[in-house]
Amino acid sequence: MALLEVNNLKKIYTTRFGGNPVQALSNVTFSIEQGEYVAIMGESGSGKTTLLNIIAAFDKPTGGDVLLNGRSIVTMSEREISAFRRDNLGFVFQDFNLLDTFSIEDNIFLPLVLAGKSYDEMNNRLKPIARKLEIDDILKKYPYEVSGGQKQRTAIARALITKPQIILADEPTGALDSRASAELLKLFDEINNEGQTILMVTHSIRAASHAKRVFFIKDGELFHQIYKASMTSEEMYQKISDTLTMIATGGVRNE
Amino acid sequence: MSKLFYPKLAVNNIKKNSKTYIPYILTCIGAVMMFYNMCFLAEVNDIGYLSDSTSLRQILFFGAVVIGIFSFIFLFYTNSFLVKKRKKEFGLFNILGMEKKHIAKIMFFETLFTSLVSIVIGILTGILLSKLMVLLLFRLISFKIVFGFEIPIKAVLYAIFLFAGIFTINLVNNIRQVHLSKPIELLKGSNVGEKEPKTKWLMATIGALCLGYGYYIALTTESPLAALSLFFIAVILVITGTYCLFAAGSIAVLKILRRNKKYYYKAKHFISISGMIYRMKQNAAGLANICILSTAVIVMLSTTVSLYVGMEDVLRTRYPRNIIVSVYNVSDEDAEKLDAIIKEQTEKANTVQKNVARYRSIYFNTIQNGASFTLNRSGSYSSQDIAAVIFMTADDYNEMENKSISLSKDEALLYTLKGNIPGDTLDFDGFKLTVKERLDSINIEAKVSSVLFNSYCIIVDDMDTIRQIYASISGTDGNMGERSYYYGFDVTGDRHVQINLVRVLNEELNKLNLDGYTEGSEISRESFYTLYGGLFFLGLFLGLLFIMATVLIIYYKQIAEGFDDKQRYEIMQKVGMSLREVKKAIHSQILTVFFLPLVAAVIHIAFAFKVITKMLAIFNLTNIPLFAVCTAITIIVFAVFYTAVYMLTARTYYKIVS
Ligand SMILES: Nc1ncnc2c1ncn2[C@@H]1O[C@H](COP(=O)(O)OP(=O)(O)OP(=O)(O)O)[C@@H](O)[C@H]1O
Ligand SMILES: [Mg+2]
Repeated sequence: MALLEVNNLKKIYTTRFGGNPVQALSNVTFSIEQGEYVAIMGESGSGKTTLLNIIAAFDKPTGGDVLLNGRSIVTMSEREISAFRRDNLGFVFQDFNLLDTFSIEDNIFLPLVLAGKSYDEMNNRLKPIARKLEIDDILKKYPYEVSGGQKQRTAIARALITKPQIILADEPTGALDSRASAELLKLFDEINNEGQTILMVTHSIRAASHAKRVFFIKDGELFHQIYKASMTSEEMYQKISDTLTMIATGGVRNE
Repeated sequence: MSKLFYPKLAVNNIKKNSKTYIPYILTCIGAVMMFYNMCFLAEVNDIGYLSDSTSLRQILFFGAVVIGIFSFIFLFYTNSFLVKKRKKEFGLFNILGMEKKHIAKIMFFETLFTSLVSIVIGILTGILLSKLMVLLLFRLISFKIVFGFEIPIKAVLYAIFLFAGIFTINLVNNIRQVHLSKPIELLKGSNVGEKEPKTKWLMATIGALCLGYGYYIALTTESPLAALSLFFIAVILVITGTYCLFAAGSIAVLKILRRNKKYYYKAKHFISISGMIYRMKQNAAGLANICILSTAVIVMLSTTVSLYVGMEDVLRTRYPRNIIVSVYNVSDEDAEKLDAIIKEQTEKANTVQKNVARYRSIYFNTIQNGASFTLNRSGSYSSQDIAAVIFMTADDYNEMENKSISLSKDEALLYTLKGNIPGDTLDFDGFKLTVKERLDSINIEAKVSSVLFNSYCIIVDDMDTIRQIYASISGTDGNMGERSYYYGFDVTGDRHVQINLVRVLNEELNKLNLDGYTEGSEISRESFYTLYGGLFFLGLFLGLLFIMATVLIIYYKQIAEGFDDKQRYEIMQKVGMSLREVKKAIHSQILTVFFLPLVAAVIHIAFAFKVITKMLAIFNLTNIPLFAVCTAITIIVFAVFYTAVYMLTARTYYKIVS
């Protein structure tokens, strides 16, 4: 059984002020196995964020289903979802979404505190993660006192600390400079090598070339996908870039 | 650019910021209106018809000054809050190529419009309401005559000048703020100061000391006259303490809680404590303001209400009998004449004397030290050791009480009106008396003085002894004049009978060329109503003003926090907090922050209670249970009102957040 199954997902936005309904997703189907590292690419407005939001249960689909470990998250009640999200999903956002009222450490603890874990347990979980993400010496600082890269690593620590089934990342490198982006991608490679499943939306070919599989979305549909398999990142980079050119010039779907 | 460009932009800005500007303009209108009305009452001709118009005008004028000063402080504070919120907007204008002088121009027009609207509408509504104000005031002071409509031009001018001045100062301050800052700072604007506040131990300690000392003064002041002068100091100390403790103490306490890991890392404490630490810095001043305003409202209302409600008590305390004749330095012969006159006049007035209290005595103003007394030569009334000593002869006492005691030269009977004398030997600068008996009761009136300072009544064998005592404490030959004569009685008969009798008796006193006067509760009732009704009116009025200010501070707090929190709660939901948990967290957090000032205000009141009762004694209100009830009711009404305001504004908050 796949870890994540997305079946015939549809999303139509009906705007309140009498505008035309927008079909953001039409019939998207795919599945992701345990331990995979998948990137989703596509033009602006193609529906990537919409897809991620539905998988994260921030939003309800118009049709179709999303199963995590065989459990549908679409039919879950509002109350179940919060706990489910906390226990099974980890998020990394483009704009970090850290709380400025909390220190770095407390930001990372937040989901565990909500889950009612004891301080000792939280601390035990934090130590190895903080060491790996090299944020152990800024734990007592506040978000406004650290760099963008450090903020993003904090967000990753917060996502990892709950030992989620899958990490969902929406443009995690979007607000970072190239050096911080490279560090972050290296980090994703590492945690993926340790078995962590990652689903990442990105505009950056460099970022996507680190993934083991890349989906291309166009106009709300899954247009194409490529596997990295034994390719190096350089080769993968070239292939993605070719594919994007092909999609942009209206090339036909292969495979 | 068209000439109307800036005025139009200004109007648009006000519209765009209506959520914050409308309450501001409403407050300005309210302040103008109240100020105009106070000035109106202080100026209006109608009041001239009152017998005691000067003191009432003084009260009203004082009210106008308080409103003026308060409006200035409060509008300045509110305005700087608004500008801080809008710095970002101005920064954007600046970056989009608008020079600072153009921004200043926009601000000028904004101020022009808001001030025009506020002053014009404020004065107009003030004029509309002014008649109602006179009626209300006259009702409170039990004055029935009503005259025509009037618009004192002076009051209008005062209001215009004061508020034009306030708005100008605010404008200058706004321009200065924008002028001084760099565009990037303007853009950051309201985000500046988001750092976690440091614990200021020094400030917290100073706050605790101020508050503690203020409370100490309030609790230990026994003498009403001392209370009057110390109260002000205590108020300043408590206000300082409140500000310091809200600013520093609250953060210190919260940080201590945060250090307790077991407590802090519980879902419900985690979010609210961190939120409050973060919030305290921005809001400490606001919360302290709410606390102080609430305290002021409660104190003003409870005291003025109880004075007003307790008017009959007050009159009875001040005038223990309906009619009181007191004459100083009366010979026995004159005293007899006086008795005859009083008898004759009461009969003439067709009434009967009841509850007669009649005695001759002589009164020394002394300084008490244990059982020793020395003459109070400074004539000061503020010292805590002042004691009034009233001497009476055994003969007078026997006549008054229908007894037949006899005393030897060095013996005395002692009755304590207020205070305490240890031991059995009284020492008057060397002249000693032995207390033969301490009396439980005596039929002399607890004179007004006994409320204010220690008072004793001492009965000795005869006038000669009293003279020797006087010689001893004054160091003279003992020529102290004759005893005074107190003759008080209740009468049957209505107001007019009583007032008339007082008048006639005063005329008779004049004829006899005696140093004394007749007074009565009825003849004074009107001026008491004028005075206490005026105070009550002032209490209501200022109470309303302060409540208005409190509401506005609360409203702005909720809005500011709402916008602040919106994003935070979105993030928390993304990390796995359910909507219900979010609501609960919001609730517990605002609830604590919100009711903290109210709780603090009630604590202030509890500590101030005793010293306030002392001060009320000066106003002849000694009915402590009445004051306690009035205070309790005021607190309850205020708390209900506060909660209602909280719930209404909390709704705005929820709307913004979700
Ligand atoms: N809340 C909404 N209401 C209405 N339409 C929406 C809403 N959110 C997104 N859309 C529309 O749905 C489509 C897909 O949007 P989405 O945000 O998923 O794109 P995206 O692929 O994430 O784009 P980008 O790369 O720019 O982030 C767009 O046409 C967008 O305008
Ligand atoms: Mg997007």
